[in-house]
Amino acid sequence: MPDEEREARRALACVVEAGEPRLASALGKAEPQVIWERVAAMAGRRLEDGSHDPWVRRASAIDLDAVRAGEVAHGLRFIIPGDDEWPAGLSALEGCPAVQGIAGAPIGLWVRGPRPLAALSEVSVSIVGSRAATSYGERVASSLAGGLAEAGVCVISGGAYGIDAAAHRGALGEKGTTVAMLACGLDDPYPKLNVGLLESVARAGALVSEYPPGAHPTRPRFLARNRLIAALSQGTVLVEAAARSGARNTVSWATGCGRPVMAVPGPIGNATSYTPHRLIREGEAVLVSSVDEVRELIAPLGTVALGRPRAGRLLDTLTDDQRSVYEALPARGGRTVDDLAMRAGLRMPLCLAALSILGDAGLATCRSDGRWRLGSVSDQPVLIPDVATPPALQPGSRPTEPTMARSVAQKEPQR
Amino acid sequence: MRLARAWSIALVGMEATLVEVEVSIGGGLPNTMIVGLGDTAVKEASQRCRSAVAAAGFAWPPSSVTVNLTPADMPKSGSHYDLPLVAATMAASGVVPRRALEATLFLGELGLDGRVRSVRGVLPAVLGASRSGFERAVVPLGQIREAQLVEGIGVVGVESLGHLVAVLKGEPYDVDVVDPAAGSDEVAGSKDLADVVGQPEARWALEVAAAGGHHLSMVGPPGVGKTLLAERLPGILPDLAVDEALEVSAIHSMLGASLEGGLIRRPPYADPHHSASLPALVGGGPHLARPGAVSRAHRGVLFLDEASEFSPAALEALRTPLEKGVIVLARSQGAAAYPARFQLVLASNPCPCGWYNVAGFASRCRCQPYAIKRYSSRLSGPIIDRIDIQLRLQPLSKSHLRGNHPTEETSAVVAQRVLEARSRQRHRLDRHGFSRNAEVPGSLLHRDLPNPTGVEDVDAAVRRGVLSSRGVDKVLRLAWTIADLMGHGVPDRGDVHTALAMRQGETEEVNCA
Repeated sequence: MPDEEREARRALACVVEAGEPRLASALGKAEPQVIWERVAAMAGRRLEDGSHDPWVRRASAIDLDAVRAGEVAHGLRFIIPGDDEWPAGLSALEGCPAVQGIAGAPIGLWVRGPRPLAALSEVSVSIVGSRAATSYGERVASSLAGGLAEAGVCVISGGAYGIDAAAHRGALGEKGTTVAMLACGLDDPYPKLNVGLLESVARAGALVSEYPPGAHPTRPRFLARNRLIAALSQGTVLVEAAARSGARNTVSWATGCGRPVMAVPGPIGNATSYTPHRLIREGEAVLVSSVDEVRELIAPLGTVALGRPRAGRLLDTLTDDQRSVYEALPARGGRTVDDLAMRAGLRMPLCLAALSILGDAGLATCRSDGRWRLGSVSDQPVLIPDVATPPALQPGSRPTEPTMARSVAQKEPQR
Repeated sequence: MRLARAWSIALVGMEATLVEVEVSIGGGLPNTMIVGLGDTAVKEASQRCRSAVAAAGFAWPPSSVTVNLTPADMPKSGSHYDLPLVAATMAASGVVPRRALEATLFLGELGLDGRVRSVRGVLPAVLGASRSGFERAVVPLGQIREAQLVEGIGVVGVESLGHLVAVLKGEPYDVDVVDPAAGSDEVAGSKDLADVVGQPEARWALEVAAAGGHHLSMVGPPGVGKTLLAERLPGILPDLAVDEALEVSAIHSMLGASLEGGLIRRPPYADPHHSASLPALVGGGPHLARPGAVSRAHRGVLFLDEASEFSPAALEALRTPLEKGVIVLARSQGAAAYPARFQLVLASNPCPCGWYNVAGFASRCRCQPYAIKRYSSRLSGPIIDRIDIQLRLQPLSKSHLRGNHPTEETSAVVAQRVLEARSRQRHRLDRHGFSRNAEVPGSLLHRDLPNPTGVEDVDAAVRRGVLSSRGVDKVLRLAWTIADLMGHGVPDRGDVHTALAMRQGETEEVNCA
């Protein structure tokens, strides 16, 4: 009976330290109910033979009723393999070699949050990195997370300070979904200072843990938790990590599970750039610098077109004012706002508004000296089948060249 | 023993405190003593008075004269106690009736020949006396118009000590009417926007700054017209309201400006040099502080040219007045408060040489990168935070120099639009207790005012990192001012984007970890 299996798995999850290879091999040979019966029986005899097996010792002390009461009190549910909600991705852990003495799929998961975990993790990316992140790292993590969330990708991370928190925040900021994988009981989320953030995560996505209510975070538990972050998501993005970092461990798991590993470069002098740069140099990670590049790596081949120029459609949406400013923008060099307003024949406020809107659409760029030129989204015909035929350009507009669409160039670096 | 008293005023900050000047003539050797915490100018009054009395043909009492200025524990400074001192002495010695001194305020300095000279602060002093119920004020003849600006109090101008005695005795006195310096023709002095060639972006920024009362910062190479523009901001600001004008005139009276042309009705302009000391900028001085440039610019424009060259201490000292609109100068002998609600205009070069990042002059700058960074970071965050408009000025483009463009708008045309925008603001903000968009706090912007259309584009700009989260409120305030200028009830998407474009370059302030 499935209920018996659930009870057995709940009991085992309370007794066995997550990621113990011994459990993985035991589960290969016997049903969870059988294993639990055996452990429980030994626990009954423990006093006589003085067993030193930690499973048995813990089994003699657990209070499963308290665990169930904790689940009810904190709105948790315990899910096991075979449930509709069980994420398919976790099975990748079964064939995965042990990393630092930890291996195997979780025996069950406690989940808090309104959405089914399987649906959340179906299209998801994990963003991990240093707790001691720089402001650059946090900005990158949160803007990547925001962009992914906007594209409907669930952002998975560990709920810790630094990059983790920035990633959750970025996803929440775009009203997206996000999952925090914790290394402690969900009744008392760690770290304490992130409780407010984690509450928001629980409302928008889910808090997940393989530890029962009341369990405290310990060093090995963080390492075991990392394998779930890697396995649950379609790909892992490392934002900042020093030479010795827990995030490096997550990357190893992602590699072991056959998931793409991505890394964002940083300034070469920073300690937190060490691991991402090393992974890129050694070929273990792919360099990513934009949301589209991440989506391209996790999506099935051909479903995301990288840097698709949208100008063909955009130009149609411009108002007359915007179009006249657009036509006045030079392709190289730059023109002052004064000059553009005169050429476009517009009053200053209207010209400024048009420039700002064109800038948002990527059709205009403000140079560091305050002058404006054409933006990085080109106005050229686009060689992508699903884009409508380019609009008939106005007479007098720039001649079109039959070349491949320009790729999305990055905005000029700010000083 | 013969005793008499006359009234005068001590100004502590803008606050007028009544001072009673008691004179007692008693037996003993001829000697004049002034007690009551007077400064040197007060102590020296006895010398001036004795000489003036003699020159006017009277005799100084040949016995012991004691002068007491009460309240005796409050420090007093200035030369305007000469007139009450001499009036009380003459009343005590029976030259003039004591009754003539009742409910009368005396202000004025005496010359050795008996002439009555001008003093500072006549307007606030007479204002204070009027509020305390005085019926008459005796002031130097040259400042009679200034005193007459105060309603509800009779004003008598005296030209000399002889004149004073005649007035107090109720006798006629012939004054050689010298037309007191004709009122300055302020319209002729103000500078017109029509003189500015081109620079439409800068003109627009100036118009928005004037309409919403926004602080403005201008960055550009030397000779691009930063000072030219700043000098024209007061010209497009609306006239001061009566109570504002009285406030401003009172401060300028304390600074010794002549108010013979009437109340100051135009917003003042102060442009202290960057070598200005801290007391010159915010006010100060020993014992009791005098108003500085920030108060001189009250209800007007404070222009700091070469803002990066000001000492950090001087710039930091601007923070309190920027926030509270008043500066309190505490000294060991008391605290003086002066109003200082000014519109700040900063001008600076992009780097020490002035040509960094100026299009077309890229190779001209030879400054070290570190020097450039340090130069631009002189202005501290709290000051930058208060500045809504950041304008980057460019050298005139060739097309503007070449083309024969139509004559530029005059200040009067722009001022009319500013006035209309101001009245829209007052209409909207009056019930919240504000009058200009620049004063509106974030809570009001977000909670009580309707959301502009296109406000989501502001959020998007924050996410993209081109706008700081602090910049959001500034953009919203600007958007409201722009809507007021364009005649929109609520900012539309265009207004929001115009505001966004007016903060281009803000992200340059972001420093890397």
